[in-house]
Amino acid sequence: MIRFEDITFRYASSEALRLDSVNFEIEEGELCLVVGPTGSGKSTLLGCINNLVPRFTGGVRTGRVVIDGQDTTLLQPRELATTVGYVGQDPLAGFVTDTVEEELAYSMEQLGFAPAEMRRRVEETLDLLGIAELRSRDLRTLSGGQQQRVAIGSVLASSPKVLVLDEPTSALDPIAAEEVLAMISRLVRDLGTTVVIAEHRMERVIEFADSVLLVSSTVQHGETREILAVSPIKPPLVELGTRMGWQPLPLTIREGRRLANPQRRAWADEPPGLPVPTPRDEPKLTAKDIIVRYGPKVAVAGVDVTLHAGEVTALMGRNGCGKSSLMWALHGAGRRDGGTVSLGDETRISLVPQTPSDLLYLTSVAAECEQSDQEAGLPEGTTLALLRRLVPGIEPEAHPRDLSEGQKLAVVLAVELAGNPQVVLLDEPTRGLDYGAKEALSDIVAGMAREGRAVLIATHDVEMVAQTCERVIVMAEGEVVSDGPTREVLANSALLATQVAKVANPTPVLTVEEFVHAAG
Amino acid sequence: MRPADQMLDIPPPIVGVAIGWRTWLVMIASTLLGLFAIGWPLLIPAVGVAPEHADDAPFIFAALLPVILLLVIAQVTEGGLDARSLAVLGVLSAINAAIRPALGAGTAGVESVFFLLILAGRAFGPGFGYLLGFTSLFASALLTAGVGPWLPFQMLCAGWVGLAAGLLPKRVSGKAEMAMLITLGIVSAYLFGALMNMWFWPFITGIDVDGTGSSLDYVPGAPILDNLTRFGWFTLLTSTAGWDTGRAITTTIALLVVGRPVLAVLRRASGMARVSTGDTLKP
Amino acid sequence: MIRRYLLPRPLHPFSWWGWAIALAVAASSASNPLLLLGIIAVASLVVMARRADSPWAKAFKLYLWLGVFIVILRVGFRIVFGGGDGPTILFNLPEVPLPTWVRGIRLLGSVSLEAVLTGLYDGLRLATIIICVGAANALANPKKLLASLPGALYELGTIMVVAVSALPQLGDSLQRVMRARKLRRSPEARTRRQRLRVVETIIVPVLSDALERSLSLAASMDVRGYGRSGTANPLDRALGLALGLGAMSLIAVWAYRYLANAPDTFVLGFPVLSTALLLLGLAAAGLALWVSGRTVQRTRYRPIRWGLAETLVVASGVAAALLIRLIARYGDATALFPSIHPFTWPELTLPLLGVLAIAALPAFITPPPYAAAPRRQPA
Repeated sequence: MIRFEDITFRYASSEALRLDSVNFEIEEGELCLVVGPTGSGKSTLLGCINNLVPRFTGGVRTGRVVIDGQDTTLLQPRELATTVGYVGQDPLAGFVTDTVEEELAYSMEQLGFAPAEMRRRVEETLDLLGIAELRSRDLRTLSGGQQQRVAIGSVLASSPKVLVLDEPTSALDPIAAEEVLAMISRLVRDLGTTVVIAEHRMERVIEFADSVLLVSSTVQHGETREILAVSPIKPPLVELGTRMGWQPLPLTIREGRRLANPQRRAWADEPPGLPVPTPRDEPKLTAKDIIVRYGPKVAVAGVDVTLHAGEVTALMGRNGCGKSSLMWALHGAGRRDGGTVSLGDETRISLVPQTPSDLLYLTSVAAECEQSDQEAGLPEGTTLALLRRLVPGIEPEAHPRDLSEGQKLAVVLAVELAGNPQVVLLDEPTRGLDYGAKEALSDIVAGMAREGRAVLIATHDVEMVAQTCERVIVMAEGEVVSDGPTREVLANSALLATQVAKVANPTPVLTVEEFVHAAG
Repeated sequence: MRPADQMLDIPPPIVGVAIGWRTWLVMIASTLLGLFAIGWPLLIPAVGVAPEHADDAPFIFAALLPVILLLVIAQVTEGGLDARSLAVLGVLSAINAAIRPALGAGTAGVESVFFLLILAGRAFGPGFGYLLGFTSLFASALLTAGVGPWLPFQMLCAGWVGLAAGLLPKRVSGKAEMAMLITLGIVSAYLFGALMNMWFWPFITGIDVDGTGSSLDYVPGAPILDNLTRFGWFTLLTSTAGWDTGRAITTTIALLVVGRPVLAVLRRASGMARVSTGDTLKP
Repeated sequence: MIRRYLLPRPLHPFSWWGWAIALAVAASSASNPLLLLGIIAVASLVVMARRADSPWAKAFKLYLWLGVFIVILRVGFRIVFGGGDGPTILFNLPEVPLPTWVRGIRLLGSVSLEAVLTGLYDGLRLATIIICVGAANALANPKKLLASLPGALYELGTIMVVAVSALPQLGDSLQRVMRARKLRRSPEARTRRQRLRVVETIIVPVLSDALERSLSLAASMDVRGYGRSGTANPLDRALGLALGLGAMSLIAVWAYRYLANAPDTFVLGFPVLSTALLLLGLAAAGLALWVSGRTVQRTRYRPIRWGLAETLVVASGVAAALLIRLIARYGDATALFPSIHPFTWPELTLPLLGVLAIAALPAFITPPPYAAAPRRQPA
């Protein structure tokens, strides 16, 4: 269905090749998962399928692209609208109209479908995606998951042969992501559309992926288990399978549990020794009865929090449960309608917001760092040195907006840490980060804790919490519903358990490392 | 060797609206017509304006000008409006529409629009500036109930401002560039005010036909100098000292304070399609 | 049949504009303040009865205030800049002497009833016209209006849709950046320059954000087929250009002749040459738009169809305007233009009441717009 013949690509502004002689062929009706570290050229490769790269981005490309037997190498993206449907990361940024129905019809309007045909297809698409009750809603009032479903529907309505999805869930919370991925798997089953999807929540997709396309220094395409075995990035379950030498590699929790039977039986008789967090007794921040309300809506309903020196705490809960509001209220820059926050003497507090780029307004990283030195009254070069220590390899002359999400986060972290705060609050730092970037972030956070800072991280990422945090606070409807050591909170929860915890259940083993260690 | 037809060499994308000679022709024709629609009281005193028609003229022109504007827009957008320029036009129009009621005065004062209009015209060229003048005021009118007979005139004048910003010499840079843009801002603030006043002078003061009007009224058939004096006093008293000076001052301050960084952001947008190519956060 | 006709639906935006413009034309050819107030009342009635629940519909009262402002301004001008020239002096204000080089300008002085009344009548007429436009603005959905434009103006419509949907996103972005701003420890802004710098730290991220979003939008439009419908062929382009320029020249010549009151042959009270010029010009303009959009193969999702109700709306407006014309020509013209000098009280005669009744019909004989979504009771 999709054939790349010797595709090579570089951007007009640089000599470095982004793709170098890429060859692969994806069969009709296949669901192909594209994996690879950020910056390896996943997006570039996906863009090549409908010629968005280089037609829209500029650049030099050689080689041939054949889709459905037709040589599409030289066509414009718009001429491929009926052949390839393309959905990007942020659905809201791609909406042209403002209601669901009109958005679904947009593509067909452009392609000149007859009005009767258009009407019929819009109705069908509404039902297919289960969004009929949203038909006349304003797109901006929808939840993230609903928005992404509409975005997918809007390309499906003109029934393309291939659906290309570039990290469709990276901006969503886990529940919305689940919704979208479940829908995609249903589409593959029911319609037999060929789907190419880049997705960092690989564990949700590998179950129904027919093949994997690994993009790193070279591009490899093959059967799911084969490629995952050699991939540098794997979901925890596959990682566990590789480390334990399980054959065939487990792709679902069910397979994993079956393969882990010997260990689980052994642990039932004799529970393994697991690391216990050290007790903390040096509070850096004590907050009592925090209340935040927006008009009649109560965002935070009387929450008590204590953060200790050297402790990394996770703040979890679904979107809109008050995590963000609590963080801003603790920091003091946001709204606080009641309660007290007491910090130790000389204790500074810093917050890294959800969209780090909001804080960046100068034209180079170096200028941002200098500005930060001036603001904090530090000797020149402090922030830049800190940034180099956190994440080496960022060009000081680069424009902050040109950096990857992870690098932007690093710059803001450096700016915030320059004033040497004792309490650091991170609002969803893992959003848009891949495995490698998350690992680097974990290291930075661990480093901050070692220096005796108190860290609070709001996140949805259970794997990261299991690896980095000692303590977890779970919120719902503005209240704290559980607060305790990570192992207790995560292992006992159906929703928050890590993949490894699900495999090892009822033994509270959370990470691959722990499992391998306990298994001896 | 690969066959040449398989090699796609696409230059980095640029935001802008290409204007061919056809478009220039239509734009010039519409400019002349627009000037006539605004300046008729001073342009045709010699032949003697029919009083009963002079009374209706502002409305007649307000009704006809949209037709002309639609013709121009159709011509300008037909040639070269790609998705990228269209999206940027939409977003900048929205920004202009948003800051207008927030910072500007009523329907007659268009204080804050000029600043972004001039910078965008400078960054993206004359065609883009011209269209942005139209779409900014149109969007603003749609969003804040400013649709009225004044709208086509405002659109036309704002289009001229954007066009002028795009036509300024390209090679000037640094402090001289800012000074040039500020000068344009001040000149267009007063000129825009005078042109808008000229249109609504007969409209608002009334037309003195039987000698019962005020002494600032337009008198059909009077000598040009006579009417010019009346108009001069009218515009001086009603807006030059107030609205127009306010507009000139706000535009100057805005350009001085954020002109340079905003211009940098706009210029960057032109080559921004490059997907972020940074490395990962790996230590 | 009638039930089907009365099913709630939005009317074609052109119909409301047609009705409102006809009403404005009617208002422009009369100075009777009672009639003008009547037209304002009719416009308000129809707006109240048939407007939808949308922001532009709520803006109608702004136009009413603007009307009041215009009347006050116009009368005020007469008083401040000399309103003397009339026999009935109402009161005397001390005239401010101006230097002789200020030719013909008078400041204050005696104020006559005639001058004030002329100002009032003219101002009211102007206000009525503005309010008619306001009524059209409140009744017609601008989004549907843009969607009904000919193919050649499609891009304009899209720009407006993009602008309208970008606005709330800008608001969110601004709020986020302002909040984030508080996180950077800015030292006390001592100088004015430092304080002004804060503006930069807000406007730059918001603008960058908006431009980056617009890029995603452009990509999304491109992959969904925007611009695929092709452009006109060279012949059509040339034809469109010729027609466009022709239209402009015809309209220019007409406007000049109209203002200069050029000699013309009259048939049934219509100047033949002028009317022909105007109609030809408008036709050429319409044709130019049609030609340039002819090859564009784009379709509309659920377009609003022109039905009986639309025809009735336009007909009621046009009938009102025509009636006024007829009254002016064959009936009692003084009812339309009550004399100021000597002063007579304006009257609302039976024919004028009839005009108002006809103009008000759309409030009753058209299908209502969609019922507003049932509002949830606050918990």
